[in-house]
Amino acid sequence: MIQIKDMSKWYGDFQVLKDITEEIKQGQTVVVCGPSGSGKSTLLRCINGLEPFQKGEIFVDGVSVSDPATNLYKLRTEIGMVFQRFELYPHMTAIQNITLAPMKARSKPRKEAEAKAMELLQRVGIPDKAHEYPANLSGGQQQRVAIARSLVMEPKIMMFDEPTSALDPEMIKEVLDVMIGLSKGGMTMIVVTHEMGFAREVSDEIIFMDEGMIIERGTDISFFQKPKNPRTKEFLDKILI
Amino acid sequence: MFDAVSSNLPFLMGGFWVTVKLAFFALAGGIPLGILVGLGRISRNKWVYYPVTFYVNVIRNIPLLLVIFWFYFVMPIIIGSPLDPFPSAVISFIIFEATYFGEILRAGYQSVSKGQIEAGYSTGLTYVQTTRYILIPIALRRMLPSMITQSIVTYQDTCLAFVIGLPEFVRRARIVDTLEVRSIQLFGFVAIVFFITCYIGSVISRRFEVREQEGG
Repeated sequence: MIQIKDMSKWYGDFQVLKDITEEIKQGQTVVVCGPSGSGKSTLLRCINGLEPFQKGEIFVDGVSVSDPATNLYKLRTEIGMVFQRFELYPHMTAIQNITLAPMKARSKPRKEAEAKAMELLQRVGIPDKAHEYPANLSGGQQQRVAIARSLVMEPKIMMFDEPTSALDPEMIKEVLDVMIGLSKGGMTMIVVTHEMGFAREVSDEIIFMDEGMIIERGTDISFFQKPKNPRTKEFLDKILI
Repeated sequence: MFDAVSSNLPFLMGGFWVTVKLAFFALAGGIPLGILVGLGRISRNKWVYYPVTFYVNVIRNIPLLLVIFWFYFVMPIIIGSPLDPFPSAVISFIIFEATYFGEILRAGYQSVSKGQIEAGYSTGLTYVQTTRYILIPIALRRMLPSMITQSIVTYQDTCLAFVIGLPEFVRRARIVDTLEVRSIQLFGFVAIVFFITCYIGSVISRRFEVREQEGG
């Protein structure tokens, strides 16, 4: 579903991503972890073309992201993205946040878009908040609206960029539960997170990144029990209590 | 008690009308020019950004009074013919206020998080759609209270045109005062009129601030 081949990216002289190669198959959930500044978020942003990269290739469902002929707007509808800080539109209610893209990017009639949005709000557990503004929702509720906003485009892939890092501890579970449901429902997912419980439960592969490189990868058991790289071990010791 | 005011009311209110007209033209020119200035300040084109930034920094670091003076006394030397106080004042205000409105626009634009724009893109919205439905509405809501406040300040500042002899509200009160010597009464009346009109404006401004907090 996603193929990354020898991909490198520079910001000026600074190389943020170094020869990344990775393949994610349909239905897989891949967890990406690593210290801050290691290039995890940048990698996600390159996959949906929010950031250009200078070397290598990324294919999403067979389509090259860096090919100038690619319609990035269409490609992005296939890739949902959830952000650390939710990034809901503050001037719109929850349901308006969700229906904006289907109505504008796909010209769906309002009725149809709203019906679909309500169905998704039901799925993330907050149908009663449909007409609330983001400012009146808790962090966990906002993040679930953000997930629904991505799902409404019926993406083939969902990317999560530290979706629970900005949440109070008691709200983390409600967001992770939605994500676990998605993963078990067969969604292809890339999740940047340090929630190792989540990684254990649903990930098919865990990638550890540091200084722009993938320095370790493994299935959950091998990754946690026998990390090969001392950096990985050091990192795991820090985040696992 | 208000004899000096009431017996000169048409003359005084004529001055108030000059003040209102001056404020109107200052804003009618200052806000559109301010929008251009603001766009220049967020431009990535250095041929646009640096000249506009230079203009903003120069004007914002000069007292308004000097801008009015300078324009009124120096422009006739440059263009070779004297300027009437009213158009001279209007142009000075437009040049001055545009820098403030421009900075309000820039701040409003920058207050929209990059993530909200990217959230738009990531759901497949185009540049135009993202700008139209996300960037502009959010920035406008953030800007509106400051825009109203700055408009009120502009309206109050119009009385600085006093110094180039424009017969606006304060100047006319001063003229009446030299004849009738009722300073407290006359300038009290001017203050009350300014207070009432500005207060109405600030109430409107506050309503927009409350709306912003509610998110609506």
